[in-house]
Amino acid sequence: MKDCAKAKKFLSRYIDGQISDKESLFVKAHLSHCLLCSKEYFGLLEVKQLMSAKERKSLPPDYLVFRLRQEISGQRQAQERPSWIAVAGDLSRRLIPVPAAVVALSLVFMTFSLKQQAGRYSLDEHILSGSGTTTEMAAKVILGAEY
Amino acid sequence: MEKPNNEDSLFIERFLGGETGGFEELVRKYQDRVLNIVYSLIGKDRECEDIAQEVFLKVYHNLGSFRQRSQFSTWLYRIAVNATYDFLRRRRNFLDEEVSPENIAAGSDGPREALSKREKEAALKTALAAVPLEYRTALVLKDIEGLSYAQIAQVLGCRMGTVESRIYRARQILKEKLLKGREEAA
Repeated sequence: MKDCAKAKKFLSRYIDGQISDKESLFVKAHLSHCLLCSKEYFGLLEVKQLMSAKERKSLPPDYLVFRLRQEISGQRQAQERPSWIAVAGDLSRRLIPVPAAVVALSLVFMTFSLKQQAGRYSLDEHILSGSGTTTEMAAKVILGAEY
Repeated sequence: MEKPNNEDSLFIERFLGGETGGFEELVRKYQDRVLNIVYSLIGKDRECEDIAQEVFLKVYHNLGSFRQRSQFSTWLYRIAVNATYDFLRRRRNFLDEEVSPENIAAGSDGPREALSKREKEAALKTALAAVPLEYRTALVLKDIEGLSYAQIAQVLGCRMGTVESRIYRARQILKEKLLKGREEAA
């Protein structure tokens, strides 16, 4: 049994021919009288033969070269895109918020000025109202302010 | 340190000197080997070509940093194995549905001699898919690509003893699966 364990340890290397002469002799001698290990050996050998005979795939010689040329040239084009296209693309991305901000600011400004407009009243309206005129109001009239 | 392959070194030098032809020669030389490693690991045609293309694209972009301390093929196979692992991580359900045990059993009436070549191929494909990926990779590099244990250890970044035990376990599992398939077919 001890020999069986030792022989099994060498079996794969024995099958693959990657074993020293001494180890090879040991395995050969063991297989000649151990039925269990022989069975194991022939089973593994059959697997090796099946794998070696396995169908191999093959591509036409320039098939992959052609695909790679296309892929690499595509990658290059993406990298070497004319700078103006890249700049335009970049600018368009960056500039989209600018008009939006302008529109938003205009709306705020218009709302504010409408409110102010609604809050004003003229000098005539003030005189007609009969309320007193403060120094501040008079100064504003003289300096050309709203009244 | 492995001795660099002269032909490969020349192709690499040509490419690094600005000649794309050097790279294309490497593709022509290794495309089928990469394809077969990938195919044996995932078992699907269409994806194999895409992965092989991805592998050579990585080579194209990284060849400048390849120091030639190991053989180009060892470096290439490592990239191929890693790209395949990445693919499998992205796509967990990679087992080919077309090849089921029922399909293998169909038309076979017992003895393995009666199995056609195609059926044998399908049986092997299914059995191989059942082998854990790490064991399968070692076995594929050995039996499909014919690498030595030392080269496989370099590609996989593990010890030779590990390679040996992975190949042994892979063959044991394959043997059991194939036997089971035959018994079910009988």
